[in-house]
Order: sequence, then structure tokens, then C-alpha cells
Amino acid sequence: MTRRTRRVLVTLAIGLPLLAALPWIASPVVVQFGINMLIMATLAQGWNIIGGYTGYSSFGNSVFFGLGAYGVGIAMAQFEQPFWIGLGLGLLLAVIFALAIGLPVLRLKGHYFAIATLGLAEVVTAIVSNVPIAGQNVGLVLPLLKSDVLFYELSLGLLLLATLTVFWLSRSRFGLGLIAIRENEEAAAVMGVNTTRYKILAFMLSAALTSLAGGVYAYYITFIDPAGAFDISLNVKMIIMAVFGGPGTVLGPVAGALLLSVLSEVLASKVTNIAGLFFGLVIIVAVVLMPRGLADLLQKFRRSGWRYFAQNIRSHRL
Amino acid sequence: MTKILQGHHLTKRFRGLVALHDVSFELNRGEILGLIGPNGAGKSTLVSLISGTLTPTSGALTFEGRSLLKITTHHRAHLGIGRTFQVMKPFPGLSVLDNVCVGALFGRDGGEHRLEAAREAAHACLEFVGLGHRVHQRAEALGGPDRKRLELAKALAMKPKLLLCDEVMAGLNHVEIEEVIEVIRKVRDQGISILVIEHVMKAIQSLSDRLLVLHHGEKIADGPPREVLADPRVVEAYLGRRRS
Ligand SMILES: Nc1ncnc2c1ncn2[C@@H]1O[C@H](COP(=O)(O)OP(=O)(O)OP(=O)(O)O)[C@@H](O)[C@H]1O
Ligand SMILES: [Mg+2]
Repeated sequence: MTRRTRRVLVTLAIGLPLLAALPWIASPVVVQFGINMLIMATLAQGWNIIGGYTGYSSFGNSVFFGLGAYGVGIAMAQFEQPFWIGLGLGLLLAVIFALAIGLPVLRLKGHYFAIATLGLAEVVTAIVSNVPIAGQNVGLVLPLLKSDVLFYELSLGLLLLATLTVFWLSRSRFGLGLIAIRENEEAAAVMGVNTTRYKILAFMLSAALTSLAGGVYAYYITFIDPAGAFDISLNVKMIIMAVFGGPGTVLGPVAGALLLSVLSEVLASKVTNIAGLFFGLVIIVAVVLMPRGLADLLQKFRRSGWRYFAQNIRSHRL
Repeated sequence: MTKILQGHHLTKRFRGLVALHDVSFELNRGEILGLIGPNGAGKSTLVSLISGTLTPTSGALTFEGRSLLKITTHHRAHLGIGRTFQVMKPFPGLSVLDNVCVGALFGRDGGEHRLEAAREAAHACLEFVGLGHRVHQRAEALGGPDRKRLELAKALAMKPKLLLCDEVMAGLNHVEIEEVIEVIRKVRDQGISILVIEHVMKAIQSLSDRLLVLHHGEKIADGPPREVLADPRVVEAYLGRRRS
């Protein structure tokens, strides 16, 4: 534990100042890319709590993102409230939604849970499209704040908050309870873990972080509409990034998000029309060769070398 | 002697199949009750009813005088009921120590909330069952016998008042069985009441204060081991079939 703790702290101590300094030295285009990357990393980290630690592959997180965005949108565009109030409103909406929806859907296991949450985005999109205060299907236009540096540092702060939350989780009683649920829910309950309460708390925590990212993003792009805010492909992206990096680890999802963001950006600029294909291939190969993500690769490759890949292929019956 | 656990007319049906039919029994405080019967007799089902992973179709259960029926599984753990699973359910991705730690952190009365203290308690439990040298391995790396020991350590770390052991000796060799018997005796000496399911006759005979025999979901005998094993119905139902 102490070694893992040190690794997290060292990574933070080196990585954080570097990331924080970026907007002061890089071009505006890079900063804009950085904002997207940091938001994605925060989303991957938020998903990590329910998907990675608790083992419930949520497709409902894009709803939390959208609710966070609409919290800010409604507060700022409709009521001329400050940004912070909007963040709070979005957070509240997302957490209440997680609580209300968690009770029925978290009873479902595995694929059933995934499918049930997959439907949520559609339902919420339909609802929001008919709510006048949310601008119906036209959307909302937010006041413009032209300071990418500010948005960048805000996104970085959010990512730090999410990562510290997961770091705390990884070494707390609560976190071990979540992992126990992931590893074997029945055994966890028999050993005294209040599985229903823990799953819902994890879902709410995931919702809180995800909604904050949505709020920041809404203010940054200054325009939201239902189709964009509750986009399910965003949810797919967070899952890919978290799983690529290593679900259920503190730094894996962040590393996954940073790496894949850079990769897709490079591919898109170098080989425009087949970038998507390349990106897809990278993900397939990665999941086949290292199904438990980068974090697992870094840990085990040192011990078993190239055999690591062979073992993975064998143990997953390919 | 006071009763720690009582079952009244318990019946459990799985769709058409009657796994338990009108079974009543009691377990005294500090006692080791052996639960035997042929395959499919309903032994594991009974343990699941007590631990709360299954709910009875009808009948009642009382633990320390209070009805268990409306009490959730995790709450039963907090009250002091611990069990092992015949089909073992380790947390495969966790270290052996963390597996047991879950029991220490969440068990009776909600467990020990401080992580360090829970780790120490878990470590002690692992030493107790003879897994002290395996603490840092992942649970999935353990072999069969060690997994059985892990099941036991996980339940013990909960500091239960009542321990339900579902075939913790299956697949062990003679030496290992002796070790487990010794462990269970020591657990009883700490004042813990125990229900053991076992097919190993010699073990169950030497360990139990009393035997309860199930056959096709019905109780066919209950009493001191010697008497029960001499009962013609038991001989026919259980021993007869085992020999063939
Ligand atoms: N979840 C379930 N769904 C349907 N039937 C079940 C279920 N669990 C047990 N049964 C059936 O109930 C009967 C009793 O099973 P149980 O596992 O309690 O027997 P057992 O006495 O523990 O047997 P063994 O000695 O083989 O462990 C069996 O016929 C079994 O097939
Ligand atoms: Mg059984």
C-alpha cells in the first residue's frame, strides 16, 4: 500500500505542475485541446468509481454530464445567476437523479444494468426537449467568457478533485466495500457490506464528479442542446478511456484519457480520413493484449515480460 | 442452555422443487451442531436461509430471540452471523489479506472501521487458519485447500457469534482435515456457536455435540451423534447411499 501511495503522490507532484504550466507556454489550439482532454479524463475518473471500483458498467453517466451542463445553462441563461450557482444546481440534479434511478437499476446485474442505463439518455433527452425552462429542443445560449486559460485551470482542478476522491476511495473502508461488491456481491453482503447503500453512494459520487465536468464544459462551449448534452457516445468514450488505462485503479483512467486523447488528435491531424479506423484498431489490440488496462501492463510486464501478452490472450480464450 | 438460533417449520421451494420441507431445529449457545444428509438434501439451502441469501417460502427463524425474517443479509452479518460458501466465493482480484479484511471491516456490529486495526485482525485470522504465509498473494492464485481456509478466515474475521460452515473440509486430505477440525474446536472454545455441514463422517462425528439429519428436504433425525448414526432411517437414507 505504501508503495502504491507513493507512486500516486510522486505522479501528482511531477505531473500536476507540468499540466498546470501548459497554457502559459503552449499555443491556444493546444490549450483548447487540453481542456477537452482534461474534461474527458475527469469523466473517465468519474466513471471509474461506479464502473471500475464497483463493477457496474454505467451508460447513465452521460446523463449526469448533461444534467450538470443544464444546471449551469439554466442558472446562467435563464436566471442570470453566477456560474458557481449553476454548478451547484447541476450537481444537485445529477445526484438526485442518481439516487432516484439507482434504487431500481442497481438491482440489475451485469449486462442488464448496462442496458437499463443505456436507455436513460434517450428518456432524459426526450424529457429535456420538452421542458421550456431548459430551452426545449432548441437549447440554451450561455454568456461568453473568453478565457481558455481559466477554463483549462478549472478543468485541471476538477480532474485533481476527481483523482483525489478516487485516491481516498482506494484506501478507505468505503472503497474496499465497493471492490468487494465488484468481486462478489453475494459474498460482500454476507460479510456485512450494505450493498444497496454502497452502490447508490458510489453512483451518486460518480454523478457528482461527472456533473461538475458537464457544468464546466457547458460554460466553456457556451451552447447546449439536448442531443449534444446527453450524447451517449461521450459515455462510450469515458468507458474506453477508463478501461484502456485500467479500471479500478487511481491513475489508470487519467493515463488512459490523456494517452487516447493525444493519440486520436495526432491521428486526426496526420491521417485524416482513416484516423477513425486506426483509433478503433488501437483500442481492439489494446483490449486483446492488455484487458486490464495500462496500469496492469505497467505492473506485470516488468515481472513476466512479453509472456504477459501471451498469457492474456490465453486466459481470455482467443 | 440458551438457544442462539431456532428454526420453525422452515420450507423452501424453488418453483416446483421442495428443497426444504417443514424443518424445525435449534442450536444452543456454544454448541457444535453437525448437519448431514445425502447430496441435494437441502443442507446448503438451510444455511442460505439463515445467512439471508435465500428467503424461506414459509416458516420462521429466530436469532438470539429476534425474528430474522425481515432482516437483510448484511444486517445479519452485523448481528453476528458468519458463513462460508460450499461453492467458494473469494474476491479473486484482491489479495488474501484484503479478502479477509472485508470481514474485519464490515462484520459484527458493522466491523472495525479503522483500516490498520482491521488489517491486523485479518492477519491474525489468516495465521489462525494456517494461511499466514499467503497474505500478499491474490486470492485467485490460491489452490483448492487454501481457498477453503480463506473462506473460513473471511467468516472468522467478522467475529461472528454464530458460524455456519458449509463443507469446509471437502477436497482436503487427512492431515488438512485434522487441522481444520482443530481450528473449528478452537473457534468453539472462544464461545462461538457453530453449524457444520460435512460429508466426512469421521470428522463430523468427532466434532459435533449433536447431529441434525436432512433427507429430501425433511428432518429425519436430531440428537447425539452416536444415537443418530445408529438410527435405521439415517443408516438407510444416508449411509446406505454413500456406500454404493
Ligand atoms: N438456487 C436454486 N435454484 C433451484 N434449485 C436449487 C437452488 N439451490 C438448490 N436447489 C436445489 O435444492 C435441493 C437442495 O440443494 P442443497 O444445495 O441445499 O443441497 P445440499 O444438501 O447442500 O447438497 P450437497 O451435499 O450436494 O451440497 C437440490 O435439489 C438443489 O438442486
Ligand atoms: Mg451443499
